Amino acid sequence: MYGIEAINAVNGWAMASVGALIVFSGLVILSFVISQLHKFVPLLEKINGEKAAPKDTISTPPPPAPIKPPDIREQASLFQPIIDTLGASFPLSALYTQANKQNIPHPHLTISAFRDAGILAPQGDGIFSWDPHKLIAPPQKPAEPA
Amino acid sequence: MDLLIKFLSNTGYALADPRQLVMLCVGMLFVYLSIAKKYEPLLLLPIGFGIIVGNIPFFKGFGLGIYESNSVLHYLYFGVTSGLYPSIVFLGLGAMTDFSSLLARPKLMLLGGAAQMGIFFTLLGALALGFLPNEASSIAIIGGADGPTSIFLTAKLAPHLIGPIAIAAYSYMALIPIIQPPIMKLLTSRQERLIRMSEPRLPCRTERLLFPVVGTLLCCFLAPASIPLLGPFFFGNIMKESAVVERLANTARTSIIDTATIFLGFTVGASTQGDVFLTSKSIMIFCLGALAFSLATASGILFAKFMNLFLKEKINPLLGASGVSAVPGSAREVHLMGLKEDPSNYLLMHAMACNSSGVIGSAIAAGVLWSLNMN
Repeated sequence: MYGIEAINAVNGWAMASVGALIVFSGLVILSFVISQLHKFVPLLEKINGEKAAPKDTISTPPPPAPIKPPDIREQASLFQPIIDTLGASFPLSALYTQANKQNIPHPHLTISAFRDAGILAPQGDGIFSWDPHKLIAPPQKPAEPA
Repeated sequence: MDLLIKFLSNTGYALADPRQLVMLCVGMLFVYLSIAKKYEPLLLLPIGFGIIVGNIPFFKGFGLGIYESNSVLHYLYFGVTSGLYPSIVFLGLGAMTDFSSLLARPKLMLLGGAAQMGIFFTLLGALALGFLPNEASSIAIIGGADGPTSIFLTAKLAPHLIGPIAIAAYSYMALIPIIQPPIMKLLTSRQERLIRMSEPRLPCRTERLLFPVVGTLLCCFLAPASIPLLGPFFFGNIMKESAVVERLANTARTSIIDTATIFLGFTVGASTQGDVFLTSKSIMIFCLGALAFSLATASGILFAKFMNLFLKEKINPLLGASGVSAVPGSAREVHLMGLKEDPSNYLLMHAMACNSSGVIGSAIAAGVLWSLNMN
């Protein structure tokens, strides 16, 4: 048996449409749930925070020190070869992808630190440029001769 | 003299069959493509060499061939027929995958769903060509562009077709640079290919930890038959994201997946013995596989264009092509196509989001097809 007749004989139309519907709706539901995940994060963190805090202590523990890359200059030197390949301006995603490829540890954190330090300067439209002068001469500290 | 003649009559030279010679040429072509052209060498080299080994003529009954129950190759092949290797590959794949870009832009997951439509169109095509529903389902899953998933489903539904289906699935994955670009160009305008995607946010660790748990619960409850694939996949991912079992995650994404890939590729190649592989059915499977893959690519692109009708912030429709689960080949192809139009338009991260949702989508599709054939 061939053609439409063969499809009808094994209920093929229903099989294909039900299958497609299940797969697509499954991914739609998953997509919706993950789009809402960030709303649960503060809640979970609050619960975790409450559990972590001992009940009988009066003073609140000091907030954890922000995690900073060990040395931003050292990190910048790791990123320099990538910047050289990306050119004068580049999207942050490209920098992140390349850093990941080269197994540079904690690229999220380091890129964020670069942005805070102004080494990565936004150019608009998600494009950034690398400003090595910020490394050479930080605003508070005058540069020392090598 | 008599002994020498007897020996010579048992050598591969005397026992050679023209079909085996054809397959030997195919094996050598695969080896050539993997080494000289670097077409998916991780897959094509083990498969190509497996084809060569599997098609060396031998005296049947000595326990040498992959289909002889007491042979070493047969024991190695058990990992394919039982669905063991695909599950292990999924474990490693999970430990490699970074879902950050998908979590940052969940709507891209819909492109992974849309690209699975190629599977169901091909199911109808295979049924129309006279294949039984279990065979048609196994052929259709080639459209998911996921070798391990194709092998897994075929091992469950139509084990006699593992050879041609696995070879077709892996061949088309290797041929992504040839198959996908013309479809992408045909279905998109230059303006569409130039669309830039905005910078995705960076999801926090808690989100990345919640995703594998939520994904397992939602997907495996929906299609329990996909547990052998999605269970290890999400487990691998939580090992990676938790960062508390870095040693295990590292083993899963290196030694374990590499071992499984070696044996999977080699035994699948060895299973393509000329006398069982070169049949009219295999040729039809290859044609349907190409159709499935092309339809999957086209469905993803067209759905992205459809989404753009309603979205304020447009999606680059090229991303739809990476909704198939050929990781990372199709994402790379989309990225390269985007770069060709605009050398500063980096689509890789966004394409990887679609790609990883394609992996989930094709595993669900396999589970659904398996369930539908059990009823």
